[in-house]
Amino acid sequence: MKLLIVRDRSAVPDACFWLAAALGLILAGPAGAQERFRRTPPLPDAQRLELKLPAVETTVLANGLTVATARRPGSPVVTLQLVIRAGEADSPPDRPGLAALTARMIGKGTRQLSADYIENMIESLGAVFKASVFMDYTVLTMDVLAEYLDRAVYVLRLITLEATFGERELGAVRRAAFWELYESKKDPEVLGWRQLLAVLFEKHPYRLATQNEDVIKFITPRDVADFYGRFYRPANAAVLVSGDVDGPAIAQKIGSHFSAWSGAAPAQAPPPPPAANDRERICYVEAPEAGAATIFAGNVIMASSAPDFFPFLVLKQILGGTTGSRLFMSLRETKGLATFAFSEMEVFRSCGVYWARAQVRPEAIVPAVRETERVIGGLAAGPPPPFEVEEAKSYLIGSLPLRFESAEGFAEWMARYVALGLGQAQWDGGTEAIKQVNAEMVGETARKYLSARPVVIVVGRPEWIGPYLGGLEPVEIYDASGQLKSTTRKQGEGR
Amino acid sequence: MQKAARIFIALAVLAVPASRAAGQLDTVTPASLPFSFQEYRLRNGLRVVLSADDRLPLVTVAVGYSAGTLRERPGQEGLAFLLENLMFQGSENISPLQHIAFIQKVGGELNATTTADKALFYETLPSNQLALALWLESDRMKSLAITPAAILRTRSELVSEHRARLRSDPYLSTFALFDTLLFPDDLYGHPLIGDGLRMDGLTETEILEFHRTYYVPNNAVLCIAGNIDTARTRELVARYFDSIPPGLDSPIPPRPAFKRENDAVVRDVRIPAGSAGFHMGFRFFPLQRGEADCLRILEYILLEGETSRLRSRLLKRDLTARYLTGALDERLSVATLKVFCLATNAVMIARSEKAILSEIDRLKTNAVSPEELGRARRRYKGDHLERLSTNLGRARYLVDAWSSGKSLAALDGELNGVLGVTPQALTSFVSRYFIPQNRVVLRFAPQ
Repeated sequence: MKLLIVRDRSAVPDACFWLAAALGLILAGPAGAQERFRRTPPLPDAQRLELKLPAVETTVLANGLTVATARRPGSPVVTLQLVIRAGEADSPPDRPGLAALTARMIGKGTRQLSADYIENMIESLGAVFKASVFMDYTVLTMDVLAEYLDRAVYVLRLITLEATFGERELGAVRRAAFWELYESKKDPEVLGWRQLLAVLFEKHPYRLATQNEDVIKFITPRDVADFYGRFYRPANAAVLVSGDVDGPAIAQKIGSHFSAWSGAAPAQAPPPPPAANDRERICYVEAPEAGAATIFAGNVIMASSAPDFFPFLVLKQILGGTTGSRLFMSLRETKGLATFAFSEMEVFRSCGVYWARAQVRPEAIVPAVRETERVIGGLAAGPPPPFEVEEAKSYLIGSLPLRFESAEGFAEWMARYVALGLGQAQWDGGTEAIKQVNAEMVGETARKYLSARPVVIVVGRPEWIGPYLGGLEPVEIYDASGQLKSTTRKQGEGR
Repeated sequence: MQKAARIFIALAVLAVPASRAAGQLDTVTPASLPFSFQEYRLRNGLRVVLSADDRLPLVTVAVGYSAGTLRERPGQEGLAFLLENLMFQGSENISPLQHIAFIQKVGGELNATTTADKALFYETLPSNQLALALWLESDRMKSLAITPAAILRTRSELVSEHRARLRSDPYLSTFALFDTLLFPDDLYGHPLIGDGLRMDGLTETEILEFHRTYYVPNNAVLCIAGNIDTARTRELVARYFDSIPPGLDSPIPPRPAFKRENDAVVRDVRIPAGSAGFHMGFRFFPLQRGEADCLRILEYILLEGETSRLRSRLLKRDLTARYLTGALDERLSVATLKVFCLATNAVMIARSEKAILSEIDRLKTNAVSPEELGRARRRYKGDHLERLSTNLGRARYLVDAWSSGKSLAALDGELNGVLGVTPQALTSFVSRYFIPQNRVVLRFAPQ
């Protein structure tokens, strides 16, 4: 193989440069043309810097509202959040999407103020307001310059506690949500994720039922008001502030604004985790505009409070955390089947999900599915070698601070921590917890969670089913709205 | 021996102080920015900018080369992007793709990007691994290994991935076409990769020449932001970068030679799928002093937030559009304001265009109210400070300033300049530049 070491031979550097270069060569000794220090990667500085996050100062008001503050010096933009401990899993089975629409209706009117007036009031502060709905909780977020924080607290109280739900405003919110759901059905990643949840949580609240945008049409102002009345209560909520703020002072202001909010917490119990899938199940979701096939393979795992959460984090990293992990190395680098192959996990209140995901050429669907299953099964068969465990730990420990760099990342972490009532290890104790993980723990966790056969979802064009799925049968074929269309059978089997 | 020893000592005496005095170290603590920085230059011409922040145990290393698409000659479309990707294919001491593996092993994140003015490479990693990032970046700056096999593989991957994106995103090709209309100068307006055909035709000689000319320390900036000890960092920078030979001075990119039409340019195209809509853009060239500040505020008045003029009018009042976004695109001396709109249906395209022009006309005749201006200023300030809240955000800000030819010391007044824009200045700016000759429209509809 021809190797060209590219250097500029035509350049004429100044004399001073060559003098230093000559000295460099002399100091480098007899190592040859290049300085010796260039040959091997440098060692890290001896003292590893520990991650220490600002403490979360928490108080609970007489009405049950939690107020939590975290001071981040040097952050001129402050994040103000209202967390409601109810999310998409709390939408009634016949009203999927209700939690999301309720959250989006906050800021769309009060008894005194119109939606336009409120929008103008928020943006006059230079603030950005958004609603995010997760499986177990909802977060209303306002990012604002520190000098407008007092006013922002007032506005947040006003739009939340005095919210009204008019048909006209709900119509606009429904239309926007409808289009978003409609457009999202063109994204193979979204389709794969929704179908994975639909299969793993078939009769469970964690089943995402908003696969079809039509479900949004039936939500009425009454539905929204009922959901709001049941869950938007002080004892089921928390107000969070993070930024360069005086925590006690702002907590006091929040207390004075929200102390009149009343209502007991709703009777809620976390949904029990379902059993993991343990049979071969392959689903194909049709995506007529897909450029490549997308594969998901996953199963149910533990909640983040479980003792094997941190060993699983390491395990997930070994499986497919980076381009050096097993899935990428096998599916892309060794076998040339995939453009990428990684692993993910998402943890809810009572359980979680892991999944491998890969993008492949249509003709590589079958070998890529089998290889993904093989890599997952390989980890379940025995503990990984210690060096692989240490590399995964090194990545996890090193990457942890990256989550907290931005105001948004920090605030998201804080909201999750408060909403799910997590312990200190989940705040900034992750480094220590990961350090304790060893190969045996990872092996035991893999045996426990990866032995069960994962559900496989393939997302691709309808015309790929005939020529490219041979050997995977039976395959359940779904349309982009999650409706079962047919099931392919092996040749010779009846339908 | 004695003579050799004397020469060695003389060299050491001469060279060590020279190394220390390689560049002036000026600490700049801008009053209007939430960070300070130091800037100096190595003897080989490499500009170095350091910005310390000890809030988290992280550091970002960013290396920018003035090697963007503006450096490509006619027919070389895709060359800058190809070089960016070849930078991950190994160097004298680092095997292909090992750069990524080294960073990921310690939990870091990395990426690279090519724009009109530069190619930018960056990694954020634990701050005790700073030397690792400098070792990696210096090795590929000093001795990038470009093999015919690497060229073939990289080019093939880039073209096939780009073609897959073109197949799955019906609007993608319209963005490239719109750029060629909005920047009617091939150098400024040609796409990053296009259809890939020209990239396929690039020769090894062209690739090597591009690298030799532009990937040299005197055509680059190294920015290090994060939890660093400045003295120790300077030592490491000197160790890894000081001995890299400089190249010839890179030519200054030519100014655009626009062929200006007498009226707005309007084109129609068909796309394979998706919805009907249009791109509308305005060109600002040459901008006078202070006019860029007007443009920044104007972007917020027109497009940022739900109460901004165009979003409010098209998405809420007229309901002629169901998606609207826009942004400034600055390519050295040329700035543009671009709007991308998906209409509620094909009939609404004309109404949406008319509504945009009517909102702009209002800006020419009625001064922006203090409330509206205040809202845009506050929002701009919040976004600006938010962008600078991470090490990577600060590093990119400093590298961007370098590549646009600004003095870093002048950054101090930048935010205040934007916040100081007056209603009169806005009216004058809009009247001067928002004229048909600067307007381009590209309409698209599914086949």
